[in-house]
Amino acid sequence: MAILTINNLTYQYPSSPQPALKDISLTLESGEFLAVIGANGAGKSSLCYTAAGFIPHFFRGELNGQVLIDGVDSSQSNLNELVLHAGLVFQNPFNQISGSKFTVYEEIAFGLENLGIAREEMKARIDEALALTNIADLGKRSPYALSGGQQQRVALASILVMQPKLLVLDEPTSQLDPIGTQEVFQVIRAMTKRGMTILMAEHKIEQVAEFADRVIALDAGEILLEGTPGEVLTSPLLPERGVGISRYTQVARRAQAMGLWSKQTHLPATLAQAVRGFGGADAAQEVNDAA
Amino acid sequence: MRNRLSFYIPRQSLIHDLNPLTKLALVFTFIIVAFSSSWYWLPTILFFFGLVPLSFIGKVGKAFLRTTFRLLLPLFIFLFVMQSLFYPGGVTPLLSLWIFSVKLEGVQFAYLTGTRILVMVSSFLVLLLTTHPSTLMSDLTRRGLPGALAYIITSTLQIIPQMQGKANTIIDAQRSRGLDTEGNLFKRAGALLPLVGPLVFGSLVDVEERAIAIEARAFNAPCKKTSLIEISDTGFETALRWFFLLLMLAAIGSRIWLS
Amino acid sequence: MKLIDSIKKDFNTMTLVLIPVAIAINVVIGQIVVLLRLPVYLDSIGTVLVAVLCGPWAGALTGTLSNIIWGLIIDPNAFPWFPVALFIGFVAGWCAIGGLFKSWWKVVITGILIAFTAAIVSTPIAVYLYGGITASGSSFITAFLLQSGRDLVSAVLSTNFLVEPVDKIATALVAFAIIQGLSTRYISRFPRSENAAQEKGKRSTQLIIAIAVAVVLVVIAATVLVTMLG
Ligand SMILES: Nc1ncnc2c1ncn2[C@@H]1O[C@H](COP(=O)(O)OP(=O)(O)OP(=O)(O)O)[C@@H](O)[C@H]1O
Ligand SMILES: [Mg+2]
Repeated sequence: MAILTINNLTYQYPSSPQPALKDISLTLESGEFLAVIGANGAGKSSLCYTAAGFIPHFFRGELNGQVLIDGVDSSQSNLNELVLHAGLVFQNPFNQISGSKFTVYEEIAFGLENLGIAREEMKARIDEALALTNIADLGKRSPYALSGGQQQRVALASILVMQPKLLVLDEPTSQLDPIGTQEVFQVIRAMTKRGMTILMAEHKIEQVAEFADRVIALDAGEILLEGTPGEVLTSPLLPERGVGISRYTQVARRAQAMGLWSKQTHLPATLAQAVRGFGGADAAQEVNDAA
Repeated sequence: MRNRLSFYIPRQSLIHDLNPLTKLALVFTFIIVAFSSSWYWLPTILFFFGLVPLSFIGKVGKAFLRTTFRLLLPLFIFLFVMQSLFYPGGVTPLLSLWIFSVKLEGVQFAYLTGTRILVMVSSFLVLLLTTHPSTLMSDLTRRGLPGALAYIITSTLQIIPQMQGKANTIIDAQRSRGLDTEGNLFKRAGALLPLVGPLVFGSLVDVEERAIAIEARAFNAPCKKTSLIEISDTGFETALRWFFLLLMLAAIGSRIWLS
Repeated sequence: MKLIDSIKKDFNTMTLVLIPVAIAINVVIGQIVVLLRLPVYLDSIGTVLVAVLCGPWAGALTGTLSNIIWGLIIDPNAFPWFPVALFIGFVAGWCAIGGLFKSWWKVVITGILIAFTAAIVSTPIAVYLYGGITASGSSFITAFLLQSGRDLVSAVLSTNFLVEPVDKIATALVAFAIIQGLSTRYISRFPRSENAAQEKGKRSTQLIIAIAVAVVLVVIAATVLVTMLG
């Protein structure tokens, strides 16, 4: 079943001269992990906002085409309805703290209180979200007195507790230190294992290669490439359009020029693929199968 | 600048356990009685025989006395000096110094005004020292205070200490770059901009993202909100609150009657 | 019904999130001004900001809550003054709707109107609650006037009319300067963004003029005060 369907979407922010998204079409099946890459200003955040209903409801502006979020037509609905279907987590962990709660536990309850959930169910759901995001020990702390990685997991828990069908992540680790990044990706890994449907904008190509079932590369608001991580992440088009590529791809490409990487082998995007690629023909076959 | 969230001191006590609305009713009763009675000694009595014992029952007596003293001492000194010298109705001189003379009526007026303000400030302190702001807000929301208002108040309580922290950082940073915060008036007035600019713009840019974040958590959902925190309230307390209401009405009524 | 609807429109999520920041701006700038020992309060800049961007009702709420929160965490003496803050926000909001927030000299007029309102509203509070003598430095002027034979109400009122304009004009100008420093895209997200659309000239020019006028004003006032008190 498709959780997100976008048909011929073109969107222009108010007071903006040109569209931020142009003729985008995509589908996201239940349980699928779709990654969105692209240079600065390519439209990644705009696509995330669209998938969570904030475009057009919060940002207004002009939207053409159709967006179905968990079967609900976004333009026909409103944000209060749409946030029940899609949850949004974005870059800055600090700004995602509601600000009105004094402990992490209460902070995670914020969304449930707004939805009028009964106290007993609230507690059960919060405990589950705390465990899932690995922050059960932080419940009594102030959400402001945490590290970035902890705050971002609180933000994740605060969204997961509302049980959306689609999780939209807009560069969730771009403002975190390496440890925080790892902590957050651990949670994301756990979520994929549970079959969560995820749309993630991300510029850390290695992480994209590890998690994504499918990748979309955006360029100036348009879909430049779409396909498996192996196809998209190693495309020579990416560096041309200012999108970063994995250092393993870079190394392998150099190696290819020097004749150390076989022309028949897919270029690697992750360390594991690179190791196998450099490991000989057998390993290369595996890489091709995996890609 | 001290950064602090509130006056609240967590303790186990009878006063802490009271419902916030009961405490609020108590505060207003004290204030209204103190201000509407014309009996000279009443505010003094209310303070020493009402508020001080309450603060000790609430196990916050020391903090109560210290904070009251700190908040009101400057005002009291000012009030006494100015009123005893300049009170318009002053006729009975007590002592004279050079061209000034201290008048009895002024001293009396200052004392009455001072003790009334003392009751006003310290009764709020009893409430604030024994009630966590989020408990107060949850209870008032449950009773019909709009959720948006509760949100504004609690989030302000958290933003202020953060911004004070940021202000301190900026002040230190600008000082170490040679900004003069101690010099003459021109320099001090000029120092305001480099301090305030980064602070204000830095905090305003966060507003849009925070709006997105709370909307993502159904902040505007049209249904009736529930509350995680459970706050106790008893029939006895309801009766108590009615009693306080009657007291307030009686105090106001007698004031109107007598004047 | 129309009134209620128009008020509701002023309180969108952006407004609700801006108000806490505005209150914090009031409090923290108020404290910085004390730290710098400047002869003004400047503790309503956030209130004016909200009044302009989100309308008079939001401004009034910001002012009221500023005092309540100042009372909750810093000094309960602030509670009784909330009507003054309420009217500052309210009047600033209507001035902005009336177009008095579109260039620096119109903002000076807004400042004067706010000052007169504040002077009038704070007089009964000072008189009935504090007997005219509050803890602020301006009470020296009140005492001086009392000594020279004025009655209480007129002494307090005159003090306020002397003291308020400088502070409130400076407040309005600083709020105006802040708005000129924000991007149009950001401002457009607030319900009353049209209030802040400037008439002519570059935003940065308006910003610099506003700041310069505010600083000159404060310095002149301080000089006058210093010479007056010897
Ligand atoms: N609120 C807005 N109003 C007007 N234009 C906007 C707004 N937000 C983004 N844009 C514009 O839309 C385009 C796409 O921006 P978007 O933020 O979606 O890109 P992005 O891929 O997320 O970039 P980044 O890597 O910097 O996060 C950019 O040209 C940007 O300037
Ligand atoms: Mg982005």
